[in-house]
Amino acid sequence: MVWTQFRRNRAGLVGLVLLSAFLSAGLFAPVLAPYDPYEIELESGLKRPGPGHLLGQDELGRDMLSRVIYGARLSLVIGVIAVTIGVGIGVPVGAISGYFGGLPDLLVQRLIDVMLAFPGILLAIVLVAILGVGLVQVMVAVGIVSIPVYARLVRGQVLSLRGQEFVDAARAVGATSGRIILRHVLPNTLAVIIVQSTLQIASAILAAAALGFLGLGAQPPAAEWGSMLSNARQYIRLAPHSVMFPGLAIMLTVLGFNLLGDAIRDALDPRMRI
Amino acid sequence: MRRVLALIAAIALTGALVISAAAAPAVTPTRGGTLIVGSGVDAVTLDAPMITDSPSATVSEHMVESLYRLTPEGKIIPMLALGHTVSPDGRTWTVRLRTGVRFHDGTPFDAEAAKFNLDRMLDPATRAPFRFLISRVTSVTVVDSSTIRLVTDAPFAPLLAHFTHSSVGMQSPTAVRRLGVDYARQPVGTGAFKFKEWVRGDRVVMTRNDDFWGEKAFLDEVQFRVIPDDGARVAALEAGSIHVAVRVPPREIERLKGARDFTVSIDDSLRTIYVGFNVTRPPFNDVRLRRALNHAVNKRAIVNSALNGTARVSDAPIVPAVEGYSKIMTYEWDLERAEALLREAGYSRARPLRAVFHHPSGRYIRDAEIAASIQGLVRRAGIELELRTMEWGAYLALTNRPQPENDVQMYMLGWGTVTGDADYGLYALFHSSNWVPTGSNRSFYKNDRVDALLDRGRTTVDQAERNKIYAEAMRVIMDDAPWLFLHSESQVTGIRHTAQGVVVHPAERIELFKAWLRR
Repeated sequence: MVWTQFRRNRAGLVGLVLLSAFLSAGLFAPVLAPYDPYEIELESGLKRPGPGHLLGQDELGRDMLSRVIYGARLSLVIGVIAVTIGVGIGVPVGAISGYFGGLPDLLVQRLIDVMLAFPGILLAIVLVAILGVGLVQVMVAVGIVSIPVYARLVRGQVLSLRGQEFVDAARAVGATSGRIILRHVLPNTLAVIIVQSTLQIASAILAAAALGFLGLGAQPPAAEWGSMLSNARQYIRLAPHSVMFPGLAIMLTVLGFNLLGDAIRDALDPRMRI
Repeated sequence: MRRVLALIAAIALTGALVISAAAAPAVTPTRGGTLIVGSGVDAVTLDAPMITDSPSATVSEHMVESLYRLTPEGKIIPMLALGHTVSPDGRTWTVRLRTGVRFHDGTPFDAEAAKFNLDRMLDPATRAPFRFLISRVTSVTVVDSSTIRLVTDAPFAPLLAHFTHSSVGMQSPTAVRRLGVDYARQPVGTGAFKFKEWVRGDRVVMTRNDDFWGEKAFLDEVQFRVIPDDGARVAALEAGSIHVAVRVPPREIERLKGARDFTVSIDDSLRTIYVGFNVTRPPFNDVRLRRALNHAVNKRAIVNSALNGTARVSDAPIVPAVEGYSKIMTYEWDLERAEALLREAGYSRARPLRAVFHHPSGRYIRDAEIAASIQGLVRRAGIELELRTMEWGAYLALTNRPQPENDVQMYMLGWGTVTGDADYGLYALFHSSNWVPTGSNRSFYKNDRVDALLDRGRTTVDQAERNKIYAEAMRVIMDDAPWLFLHSESQVTGIRHTAQGVVVHPAERIELFKAWLRR
């Protein structure tokens, strides 16, 4: 049923194609990349795309295609880990806060208000400043930034679910609160979490690229799209290809996730369709 | 006096002609206008004895003058001094000062003022980083209002060259006393330009000093504007929002050649770029590993790629233009030799040498790109370097820590031998008395033989003898390899045709004393 709904959405299919490309690049990078992404060839720095190097070479003469492919792998890892952190902490916090209500709910929600008051990227920069510069720190920072998003989302869902009859029924047969949350309430929020995660991976990748661009994320020589852009921008007039391809990779991946996320949402809940 | 002025004018004019030759036939300079220089980093301080970097000195020298000056051609000419005599034993220097000169705040420049400045630099409490420049001076006395006498503890050959240094600049005693720590943000000197304002991280503005003792400047105002990004600086030059752009990325030279409104000039520099090792801590307390890295890096390839051939592979720790230079050697690019040395020291592909490599970004021409090149090059010899890019101020602070707490393994830096004398290029960097934080020896290098040679070089007067001493010292230094010897930079500067008479000094200074704007 859901698949039938999904198939009707052309944009969703485009998203799926983009993501398949991204995922296969990420998963099979060592097989797909024609060169070692770290092998430098100073003599042919900034060489334009040609038969030997399909996307050209960067300022140190590294193969752009291989670096873009390995970049997919890094972005995939960043996206998945950041979202896992967000889901892992945000969902329980939101569920407990929404289910029990009262003072804890009030405190948690104010804290989340504070976190949401900062633009995500600014909060991530502050966190990186505290945690230090590096890829792992960026994943943690971007993950923390997505916690309030999940907490708020799940809390709203739980609030509307906890008054429903099946929850009352479960309570009537003597189920504990923990069991009710895990077995009865959370499964019903799964659809929203999946949709949100698809979109959230896109923002995580974008945020990580932004941090990489600012020199706060992956350190050289890592093949990370944001830092590739940052290095190449110095030579934008001389070698536009070195900026174009990492930029395109970021754009297409984020676009793919967004199209797919929208399509899944539409398929899961046709009523929400605008 | 007139002859000296004529000499200065002749030299300045020659410089101006050389610079503007490609642009236009010489025309009469016009007065007025504001000239804007796009610089890569902001000044750190404008209190002369506290300055350790060229960007600060470039700004400072327009306002604060020294007793002598090193011309772009490498000659030492009098500035605030008129001349000097040295006693036969080489230990007493009598310096005659220019008369009738006033600081920008009206304070007269006289023997008292000169003594004040020299004493201030010598006072350990001032903590002048380059105190070693005149540290051999034991007393400064006022003979009469325009003469001072200096006594040194031994004959001190490089003293005259050191008097040209911006750190030994003459500043208004009244202002220094009155402003205290705030003086560093509003300097008062005798120069052709007066301080107007300093907006941190953005610009320093100066106006013409109409009471200047020498030939007055043509420009009404001069601005040094901070544009850290190489690409943005070039774009600003192309758009015409600045007149001069320092450190144009050398790879852009070819593209910019076609520009109608500006030229890119390539000028010599006294700066050597190197990567220092901390020789007191593992792993680089092992000379074999230091040599292995020297062999593993293809310096020629770096010079030809990131620097587009505008640099020269180092064959000594100082550049050829420095008095005391001689060609010593270059570690050949030889991966097999590097790997053999690594094996000897107990490393292999299975157990690779790992180290952390700190470097700045935006301070030297393509510094971060060069650091990444080094990382990529040594990887082929099975050496794994982890790069740490840092902001200039924080980077200096980190590498400047004293030996017991300094855990920096490898660091990239450049040293401009701005006095044009080998003592400045070697003593500060390799003498064991100059370990940071009181000197500039960040490798904590100590070799008794080198120490003795450098001491002898300072106190020997005969230049031929000094050259021999320095050659010997540099041979030992290069064999010990406390550095990964890289290259000497050229200055790649973009200058708009409307800006005439801009001089690019080899000490890495942009000089606007005789610059003017064509309408």
